[in-house]
Amino acid sequence: MSVVLGRDLTKVYSLNGRQVAALRGVSLTIAAGEYLAITGPSGSGKSTLLQLLGGLDSPSSGRLELMGRAVEGLSDDELTDLRLRQVGFVFQRFHLMPVLTARENVELPLAEAGVGRRERGQRAAELLAYVGLADRSDHRATQLSGGEMQRVAIARALANRPALILADEPTGELDAATGAQILALFDQLHRDGVTLVVVTHDEHLAARVPRRVHLQDGRIDRDELATAR
Amino acid sequence: MSPFGVLALLSWLLPTAPTFQQLPGIAIERRLADRHGLSVGDTVLLTPKPDRPAARYLVEAVYQPKADPATALRGEYQIRFHLPELARLLDAPDRVDRIAVRGRPGVPPDSTAFRLNQPAFGYRAYPSELIAAESSRTFAVVSRFHRAIGVISIVASAVFLLCIMLLKVEERRLDAAVMRLIGISRATVFRAFVLEATFVAAVGSVLGVGLAAVAGALTNWVYRRRFETSLVFSHLSVEIVAFGVGLSLLLGVAVGALAARRLVTARPLALWRRAG
Amino acid sequence: MTWALVVRSLVRHPVRTLLVIAGIAVAAALLLDMVMLAGGMERSFSRMLLSRGYQIRLSPKGTLPFDSEAMIPAITPILEDLRDDPDIEQVGPVLATSLHVSVGDSLLTVVGYGVDPAAQGLYELESGTDLAPGDSTGLVVSEPAAAAAGWRLGDTVRLQGRLDPQSARAAVERVVVVRGVVRFLYDARGQRSVGADFRLVQSLGRQPDVDPASMVMVKVRADDRVDAVAERIAAAHRTVEVNSVAALVVQFRSRLVYFQQLSLILATISLVVGVLLVGTILTITVSERIGEFAVLRGIGVRRARIVRLVMAEGAVLTGVGAIGGVVLGLVTARYLDAILTSFPGLPAAISFFVPERTAIARAAIAVFVAGVAASGYPAWLAARAPIAETLRADAE
Repeated sequence: MSVVLGRDLTKVYSLNGRQVAALRGVSLTIAAGEYLAITGPSGSGKSTLLQLLGGLDSPSSGRLELMGRAVEGLSDDELTDLRLRQVGFVFQRFHLMPVLTARENVELPLAEAGVGRRERGQRAAELLAYVGLADRSDHRATQLSGGEMQRVAIARALANRPALILADEPTGELDAATGAQILALFDQLHRDGVTLVVVTHDEHLAARVPRRVHLQDGRIDRDELATAR
Repeated sequence: MSPFGVLALLSWLLPTAPTFQQLPGIAIERRLADRHGLSVGDTVLLTPKPDRPAARYLVEAVYQPKADPATALRGEYQIRFHLPELARLLDAPDRVDRIAVRGRPGVPPDSTAFRLNQPAFGYRAYPSELIAAESSRTFAVVSRFHRAIGVISIVASAVFLLCIMLLKVEERRLDAAVMRLIGISRATVFRAFVLEATFVAAVGSVLGVGLAAVAGALTNWVYRRRFETSLVFSHLSVEIVAFGVGLSLLLGVAVGALAARRLVTARPLALWRRAG
Repeated sequence: MTWALVVRSLVRHPVRTLLVIAGIAVAAALLLDMVMLAGGMERSFSRMLLSRGYQIRLSPKGTLPFDSEAMIPAITPILEDLRDDPDIEQVGPVLATSLHVSVGDSLLTVVGYGVDPAAQGLYELESGTDLAPGDSTGLVVSEPAAAAAGWRLGDTVRLQGRLDPQSARAAVERVVVVRGVVRFLYDARGQRSVGADFRLVQSLGRQPDVDPASMVMVKVRADDRVDAVAERIAAAHRTVEVNSVAALVVQFRSRLVYFQQLSLILATISLVVGVLLVGTILTITVSERIGEFAVLRGIGVRRARIVRLVMAEGAVLTGVGAIGGVVLGLVTARYLDAILTSFPGLPAAISFFVPERTAIARAAIAVFVAGVAASGYPAWLAARAPIAETLRADAE
């Protein structure tokens, strides 16, 4: 089954009264369990595409199905629920809640999904152990290093066992060694059967991803599998 | 108690009889005339007590009494008689409530009052200033009350101002960091922010004076209509404006300086990071 | 989780939060004071008039009780008529007049009240014994009168009446004994007053031959009969003014219009200040944290939850501020009351600020509701922020 099915997706922004086309007819299918890197130069539409795939934004035209559901027919609450249960986000700047601890940050989407206090405590502990931060669970986000914050963000993204993880430049704010740890974690996720889409400038990251979609001026100009490279 | 207070107006007659010349004349205040449709030439029946016989009087004049805050809120009507007529009505000949005395120029009222009090012929003489001070005690209390409310308002506005300035500081961290990083001295940055606060306080003060003038005019309009008086209820004097503007400027500058101090005492890089 | 986020977000900027709470507390205090002022004096007046259970007052025509020196003449037949009324439980005549006593070389002037000891609604005993019915030689005195004259319980006093101002000599004198120290309910602070048998004071006062009284207090057996009894008395005795306490309160209210309007204006201003404070601060705070709200939305937090988060912050700020405001308001009310009760001639029993539970609850709820309502706009801003655009702007 396809996790993502996009046909002729376009996205046009209004910038200072000027219409700017960020995507100009992108068609993309992502199957369950795939590990995909979206690459391209700045302004090529990578982040915009990722936001459409995560239901953070809606396309100006075209058809997008996430987990078999057409996005354009969904209400805001339905789309929010879809993001909560089916999609996990990892942002470049981590975007943890600074006032919450690592454990509470992971528990946040679980609480929103109505998971009971005890169960979400257990699940958060498991996830923090999974990302190697069992001993940092009671530290505030502001007390963690960049790599630790990103690992907490990954644990948060995994909280509700989503069908799709979307990462936007996940190593962009990290040094090489820490970035490598995050990539290893992504590999581990892929091996565990999680569907992963990563937007990156990082050639090192892109090179180790099985499928690579290259965007140029809002269009896909290459969609290649590692075996073909 | 003034005899005016115990006068009960029994009824009002429209002008009819041609015997006006024989009737004693009175002057009634404008409010009374307006409320009861009376005018010069009308006759009225007056009695000092309900069980006493009424006497007929001719309205000879309608006058506007001098605005007096002591009586404005009581709602009682005033009627002026010739002294012998009132004495006759009250059945109290040769009796007065008070006598006004004007001393010769240069004689201090205190010494005149002292001399008049020496024989003690059943009266007591007071200098007018003393009576004025005594009768304005009520207004002195109201004035103290207003001042206390003013202090509370000033505290509230100071807290509000401090909050806003604090937030302005948060907003201006990046500006301050950039200024400091390009080599502008702490003192200059401090002056720049204090100057900005002063400007904001000055503009706010001017707006505040304008608002106070409008509110004062509205207050006067409402209460003058409400109490049918020409009294000034809200008076925006030069002293009050100076106090208000001075205080808000002082508060603005002090709070601005406090806020600016937070900016200049932090290290520029720390500011930069927090602003980011 | 919601409360952890709310509380920690507020603690994140402690100075700012404390200042906002302080600002709300001052606004709430002013509002509480104004709510108390709006109804306090009226309630205090009503409570004072009803403190001894007398619901009706008879006074000279065209006057309010003790509002003038006018007197009701020929009071005895009126009293007899009232006592015959089956709805009336007690009838207490009062005569107020100036009396004098020699203290050393000087003459002390006091307010003398003539009362019927069997039915008096004028004072409450503080020490000693009360006047017994028919006690024509007893005297009760107020604390200030006792202090000024140096009286003690059991002292013999020569009360003088109808002083001739020219000769400074009294026309009449009666010897009485101080039985008790009392608190006269309608006296101004520091007023020197004495109370004695009604007929005794009549004999000392002006025009004893006209059988005068300054006021008659009437206690009706059933509260629901008060208006009917007042109407009946007014119809039977057209030369006197008959007022129930409720009617007197209405007349009193018209004299308080200034304070009522002032309190309304200031209460409105304090509410506006509170709303502006909460609204402004939360709007700025939300703008600062708009990226955080976008992330929350991004990871699947519903708009309604975001609205609840921001409004909960407003609720905590205004809730804590309102509690502080109640405490501050009660303290400032005592201070403001001390100023206003120094009005010359005002009965000491009158308060302008009466701390009643309903007034406190009303002010606290008004501040709370206004504060929470003020957080509606920033909450809407936080919930409506476009996720993608905000995250993009935040990343730049």
